[in-house]
Amino acid sequence: MISKKNLINLISVTLSVLITVLIVFVFLLILGKDPFEIFGMIFSEVFADGYGIGQTLFKATPLIFISCGLAVCFHASLFNIGAEGQLNAGSFVIALTALKLDFLPVPIVILISLIFGFIVSGFFGIIPAYIKIKKDVSEVITTIMMNFVILALVNFFLLDFFAVESTMRTEKINEDLMFLKISDVLPFFDGSTLNSSFILAILAAVLTYLFIYKTGFGYKLRSVGFNELASKYLGIRTNGVILISFFIGAGITAFAGMNYIFGYKGFYEFGFSNNIGFTAIAVTLLAKNNPIGIIFSSLLFAILDYGGLSVNQLIPKELMLVVQGIIILSLLAVDKIVSNYFKEKLI
Amino acid sequence: MNILFGIHKPDSGYLKVFGTEVSFKSPLDAIENNIGMVHQHFMLIDDFTVLENVILGDEITKSKGLSIDFKKAGIVLNEIIDKYDLGLDVNRLISEISIGQQQKVEILKLLYRRSEILIFDEPTAVLSPVEVEHFFKIINSFKADGKTIIFITHKLNEVKHISDRVSVLRKSKLVYESDNSNELNISDLSKAIVGDINDIQNSEKRNASVKNVEALKLDDISLTVNEVKILNSLDLTLMKGEIHGICGVEGNGQSELVDVIYGLQKNFEGNYKKLIPGGISLVPDDRKRKGFIKEFNIGENISLKGANLNFLPSKKINKISEKIISDNDVRVSDLESPMSELSGGNQQKVIFARETDSGTDSETDSENNILILVHPTRGVDINATAFIHSKIISQRNEGKAVLLISSDLDELISLSDRLSVLYKGEILKTFNRDEFSRFIKSDSEIEPETDPEFLLMLGKLMTGINDK
Amino acid sequence: MDLITSVISLGFVAQVLRLMTPFYLGASAANFSERGGVINISVEGFMNLSAFSFAVISILTGNITAGFILAVLINLLFSVVFGYFTVSLKINQIVTGVGFNLFIAGLTKFLLVYIFSSSSNTPRFEGLPEFTLFSSIPFFGLFLTDYITLFCFLLIFISAYILFKTRFGLRLRSAGENPAAGESLGIKIRNYRYYGILICGFLSSLAGIWMASNQNSYSDGMIAGRGYIALAAMIIGKWKPVNIFFACLMFSAFEAFEISLQITGSDIPSQLIQMLPYFITILVLIGFIGKTKPPAADGVPY
Repeated sequence: MISKKNLINLISVTLSVLITVLIVFVFLLILGKDPFEIFGMIFSEVFADGYGIGQTLFKATPLIFISCGLAVCFHASLFNIGAEGQLNAGSFVIALTALKLDFLPVPIVILISLIFGFIVSGFFGIIPAYIKIKKDVSEVITTIMMNFVILALVNFFLLDFFAVESTMRTEKINEDLMFLKISDVLPFFDGSTLNSSFILAILAAVLTYLFIYKTGFGYKLRSVGFNELASKYLGIRTNGVILISFFIGAGITAFAGMNYIFGYKGFYEFGFSNNIGFTAIAVTLLAKNNPIGIIFSSLLFAILDYGGLSVNQLIPKELMLVVQGIIILSLLAVDKIVSNYFKEKLI
Repeated sequence: MNILFGIHKPDSGYLKVFGTEVSFKSPLDAIENNIGMVHQHFMLIDDFTVLENVILGDEITKSKGLSIDFKKAGIVLNEIIDKYDLGLDVNRLISEISIGQQQKVEILKLLYRRSEILIFDEPTAVLSPVEVEHFFKIINSFKADGKTIIFITHKLNEVKHISDRVSVLRKSKLVYESDNSNELNISDLSKAIVGDINDIQNSEKRNASVKNVEALKLDDISLTVNEVKILNSLDLTLMKGEIHGICGVEGNGQSELVDVIYGLQKNFEGNYKKLIPGGISLVPDDRKRKGFIKEFNIGENISLKGANLNFLPSKKINKISEKIISDNDVRVSDLESPMSELSGGNQQKVIFARETDSGTDSETDSENNILILVHPTRGVDINATAFIHSKIISQRNEGKAVLLISSDLDELISLSDRLSVLYKGEILKTFNRDEFSRFIKSDSEIEPETDPEFLLMLGKLMTGINDK
Repeated sequence: MDLITSVISLGFVAQVLRLMTPFYLGASAANFSERGGVINISVEGFMNLSAFSFAVISILTGNITAGFILAVLINLLFSVVFGYFTVSLKINQIVTGVGFNLFIAGLTKFLLVYIFSSSSNTPRFEGLPEFTLFSSIPFFGLFLTDYITLFCFLLIFISAYILFKTRFGLRLRSAGENPAAGESLGIKIRNYRYYGILICGFLSSLAGIWMASNQNSYSDGMIAGRGYIALAAMIIGKWKPVNIFFACLMFSAFEAFEISLQITGSDIPSQLIQMLPYFITILVLIGFIGKTKPPAADGVPY
């Protein structure tokens, strides 16, 4: 059974995607381009063969991880804009740990690397949470500042201590540590870099869903997000919930690096994230903070991202950034208008 | 009142001011027609001075009309202040002055705008009796100036004291109108206010045995917040199986006392001892802000209390909701409706259920033996009030220690085993039930008639006048 | 030694005062919006937008005046849309701000490539005309070199006057402190919130225009978080024009210091110098200020 709230969400998300398409069509016509040709190219690039589909799923993988982390924060009313920094710190540490500990058995190295990455990313989420609790300064400002600080720190440690000469990347990790390529099992995806990280990402989305909606801590987290004062009077240690939510939420973003390091290149490279930490904000909002919805909105953004490459000769691929921006804004507006409409109609 | 002041528009009917029919689109129209209103919750800006608050929206500007002429405005205001003896300093910030003075700022706003019709919504609720007296003096001088005053209150004594004419509104209807207060019959008036009293269910009978076990002991508790002493060497003992009522004018430390007992405020001095096992339950004062999560449904709100890292599937939540709904006669259209769709009375029933029989699995339930109630029936309909009152007594009969903080003296007197008066963060006096129960003339636990003399004594205590 | 002499020179002080311009304009912009009760974290985006439109329109038309006027108008147009979202539709102000920032960042990146086939920057162009009146006066001539900087210093007094001495300021602040109280006195709160946002759009457009003019081109990411630092300066300055000025002074001093370090070729790694202002902001927010108190209804839709 679909609840009234979910129905309203579904309607507004669908409507806003349609409106975005409409706006982009008009925008392209103004620029003198044929929108059907451009959208046609995007979809044929993505869905033509197993390679296209595989690459799209590959691009969706980090988005799913980061957005799940953001969903945890957003449910607790913590507007974490610092995913870009957090995920870079964690990914960097994942690569370093995998490099330094490769004398241990493979599963243990991977596990420890991921845990270390989680802790480091999470640590950088604790700082804005602490400032919010102690000084009442909005996490928005601090997470933005933290982005600049973390990226500079990562860049400094990478270049001065760990980078391969005249590159911006670490050394390659042991080949044994690399994840299974899906195309090795399913030849349909031949040539694509899709790897088992994608399956872990789906798993992460399901687990995050259960964590947020079905566990006692998830209830507390959402309760604090809805009404902090009432939560206090309900006996919830709200400061603790804020710290833990921010830690977990920021921690999950580290797994974005898993796809790149274990699944693709085998090293951490500065700039690999390419502002995906900000794109994930749009993905999470579009999914209405629901981790299952995040799987689908990540796929949509991955289609735009991968398909956008194919239209670059016709129109700069940065068009997709504009599309993403329009999606967020139209979602915000449509969502409000739709929910106001239903409030008047149904209640 | 909102129609009179132009905040809402009537669906039908008309409004005449001084004989001419008017239609208000906004408060501005009302102000222009010389109607002014003092809202129950003051419409003041804490970070503004008295002067800025008063002139806002009708500023005296220098010749070019751009910048405010603070000097001239100050002179105008001080004239009014002197005329009606309001005793305000126009340059102080609102956040620095007392509630009583803030009310005078609201009055000053009306006078500055030359209001001829003044509406007061429960103006005395926040005032001490001395301030009330001064307030009435001001009101009478308005009357002498030929102004019209609409005075909304639920305090009969004040009605009798100040009104020339009385109207009673009940369930959006005018049910009573008088011409002259001298002919006022208080019992007629009460009947008109209460309506048909027969449909109230008879309440739980009070069980006589009071166990002599201390549950909670506050010894010499003091609390200072922002350099203001809120609690002042407060002593309070809570016994098992008693309802301990606290009466006092609001703002004398009630909410801070609750925070100290409930453990949300830890920066106090003095001894705090909890002498029985189990936790503390709390029905907080401001239901909407503190009582529940309005986006969650009933079962989710119940489960929140003490939820550990358990797995909570929807089925389990719905079972909890069902139990609460049937046990407490909660009216709800859909099991999964969020709390915001419930009426105030039903919301309060849910909160009560959560804090008392706590609805959760009986095996995991570590019983809370101390129950704090703050304004448990405020804004709650008459049926839910009766239900909650009988629940309070049954909680007491079960042996729980109940602390009842309320501004409804009738409620306090009818329910309390002991009754303490809180004034400026201090317990001035504690009465035992036999000291005041003889004043209760009627047997009904719901709307007892209380001896006016006892009420007067309480009223004096509540304002710091201790005769004995 | 080089570093020390360069830092304690008069030229350094003038540099600090000049570099303060975008910070103070941005912070004042945000302050007008927040005094009216609307948190506007898209000051960053608005600065970016105006820097872009000023540079691009000036280059394409060859007319600086057209570039200036249209850049301001475009910012005002976006401000109206921002107001529609936050005031009329009452959408969460912070989410809206993030949305605008992402949209503007995408739009400028796209148009930059589309128009100039470059993903990094526009061609160079002649910036705003110099302000020469003070150029012969020692010290002042060193930093009061353009009209926007001059206006920026006047703005300290103008904004304090508007906010605290005028009818408009009183009403605007009532919208940010207690809209219900203002409304009960007949003030059209929503209009005032729009005015605050429009002033914000105007002042942030000046900040962006100054940036592009100062660099004689637009480059992707050139605002580099200055809009966010401006917000931090506003918080540290406790929403008071004069205090904000000192907070901005601190940030521009860091920037000037960073430039001196680069020029004098110090050993300190450049990444660490670059992160200094952000790092200091966090330190300041953690430790050196007490709890800051924004306008009471800041961020609350009405």
